[in-house]
Amino acid sequence: MRKLFQDRVTSLSITILLICLLASLIFPKNFPTFENLSQVLLNLSIDTIVAVGMMLLLIAGMFDLSVGSVVAFSGGLAANLMFFHQVPVPVAILAGLLSAILIGWVNGYLIAYQGVNPMIQTLAMLGIVRGGALLVAGANIQNLPYWFNAIGQARLLGIQMPVWYMLLTVAVFSVLVNRTVFFRRYYYIGGNEKAAELSGILVKRMKLYAFVLSATLAGIAGILLASRLGAAMSTLGRGLELRVITAVILGGASLQGGVGKIPGALLGALFMGLVANIMIIARISGLWQDIILGIILIAAVWLDLYLQKQSRGNSKI
Amino acid sequence: MQLQIALRDLLVGILTLTVVSCELPPRQKAATPEGTILTTVENDQIRPDEEYVMVTTAISMPMYVNHDQAAFKRWGQKMGVKTAILGPSEWDVPAQIETIEQVIASRPAGLLINGTDPGIAQAINKAVAAGIPTVVYDSDVPNSKRHAFLGTDWYQIGLMQGEEMVRLTGGQGKIAYMGILGLTNMEAGFQGLLDVLKKYPKMQVVGKYDDKANVELAAKITSDVLAAHPDLAGICGFDSNSGPGIALAVKEAGKAGKVKITTVDWEPEHLQLVKDGVIQMLAGQKRELFTWYGAQFLFDMVHRTNRLSSNDAASGITNVPTTINTGLLRITKENVDQFLKK
Repeated sequence: MRKLFQDRVTSLSITILLICLLASLIFPKNFPTFENLSQVLLNLSIDTIVAVGMMLLLIAGMFDLSVGSVVAFSGGLAANLMFFHQVPVPVAILAGLLSAILIGWVNGYLIAYQGVNPMIQTLAMLGIVRGGALLVAGANIQNLPYWFNAIGQARLLGIQMPVWYMLLTVAVFSVLVNRTVFFRRYYYIGGNEKAAELSGILVKRMKLYAFVLSATLAGIAGILLASRLGAAMSTLGRGLELRVITAVILGGASLQGGVGKIPGALLGALFMGLVANIMIIARISGLWQDIILGIILIAAVWLDLYLQKQSRGNSKI
Repeated sequence: MQLQIALRDLLVGILTLTVVSCELPPRQKAATPEGTILTTVENDQIRPDEEYVMVTTAISMPMYVNHDQAAFKRWGQKMGVKTAILGPSEWDVPAQIETIEQVIASRPAGLLINGTDPGIAQAINKAVAAGIPTVVYDSDVPNSKRHAFLGTDWYQIGLMQGEEMVRLTGGQGKIAYMGILGLTNMEAGFQGLLDVLKKYPKMQVVGKYDDKANVELAAKITSDVLAAHPDLAGICGFDSNSGPGIALAVKEAGKAGKVKITTVDWEPEHLQLVKDGVIQMLAGQKRELFTWYGAQFLFDMVHRTNRLSSNDAASGITNVPTTINTGLLRITKENVDQFLKK
């Protein structure tokens, strides 16, 4: 039983099931409905896509605080090009994604090759890109082309498309991280960077790629969010970085690096989304939500540390 | 190789499924709530589960708590109905949208939504489509299908500040202004201010600044502007925290009363600064009226208090006023005592 709970993906899955069961019993009319649960998934879809990139970074022992700003900038740039310059939808989307890739490359290059501290670099980038988002989105842009809005508002089996994009992202990256040598290297880098370098892994280049991938996923999330809302706002993605890091840590990543699974990003976000949803159904004020989520995070990290200690104790015996 | 084939098959499968069973969103129609069937009750009796929900953002902002939320709660108590106030603690519009969408699933009797951004239009439309009477307050979301709007015209707030600044400075001198950049209502206010100032060629705008609704930041920006322009004639503020921040820096620079200040909102702190002569004018909103009458509109829609036809919903009629401008308060040293004694 203890072994079962030492795997965060398993323990979190069981916790989520228990929460759903409990919420269904307490709020039978409002919680276990298709409308409510598909809405919960839709709401966490954007965060999860960004969280997949963040999970990859945390596995490698790094993190990116600029992802929220990238979400706002990529969506804002695409909207600006479509609305003010009548650029065709695919070209505008491509421009939004390329801008995200460029931001990721600058972050990755300065951190990996120039030795800038990741926190300082991405914090500075957070400010720069948020300013850029304000420039391109201005006082917000509405009335975007129908086909752009359709990307995020179309439905498949009654569920809005961002949920499917999220599941696809999680599935693809889970396979890549589990099955390819390339992505497995991030565990070695996060576990012991020096040893990874000595074993021939091109650590600097891998770090650069990780930042580019994370920013690209944030760029995709930004395009999807603007499409889903049918509007680009300079305030999109504000505070997203902390939400995503929280979800990823809940999902089993460690700030020390070397551990974590991609489905953990989805489960962490799902856990937070469900807790937020139940608080809304229970009409608990937003003031309490931050407090409750904070307590849950501390409890999760503490439980993790406790189980790790137990595990180490057992292995010594 | 096997992995590549599996991945390719997965992608092709998903793509095919998407194309075959994808349901596209409806094309945007005119922004009216016509044809929506409201969830109404047959008589004037209040149901035991009758609940009205307010969804805002930055739920802990004192201006919201003291005015909007207090009036909404008082209304609920007077009417004997349940009220709930939901939304994120920070200024986070996407989180407000998510809250609205989740509240829809729980079918409240009516939804009172703070019109923080035009981007919430789709969520409002979802509520209207679900048959929930939906009223927007504070700033309008004109591209939405909301049933009614109550609030202030932010362009008028800008005009009011501009005209007062012209009066205070004699129509000449350097002016700076600040607020939360990028918010639609504030940008409308900025435009109102600029439209007044452009008629006065001797007035020069030295800067537009983003204080992010933060008192410390507003104070820092003001002290920097004062250092760069010692002859600054006046500053205009557009968010709740602009005024206290600007006033703090002007007082510290020993220029209280010399550098003219106009700003928005009338919290006790703002009123005291007017009484002390640091701020010359407040453009106040009648926020209590937004939510008191907004909730009453919802109640009147649910209970069909005024019936304009045999079936208002089928006739495409909303039985409450669709747009209400609650007007502005002009608070100066002459009348500030009346507001302090409120």
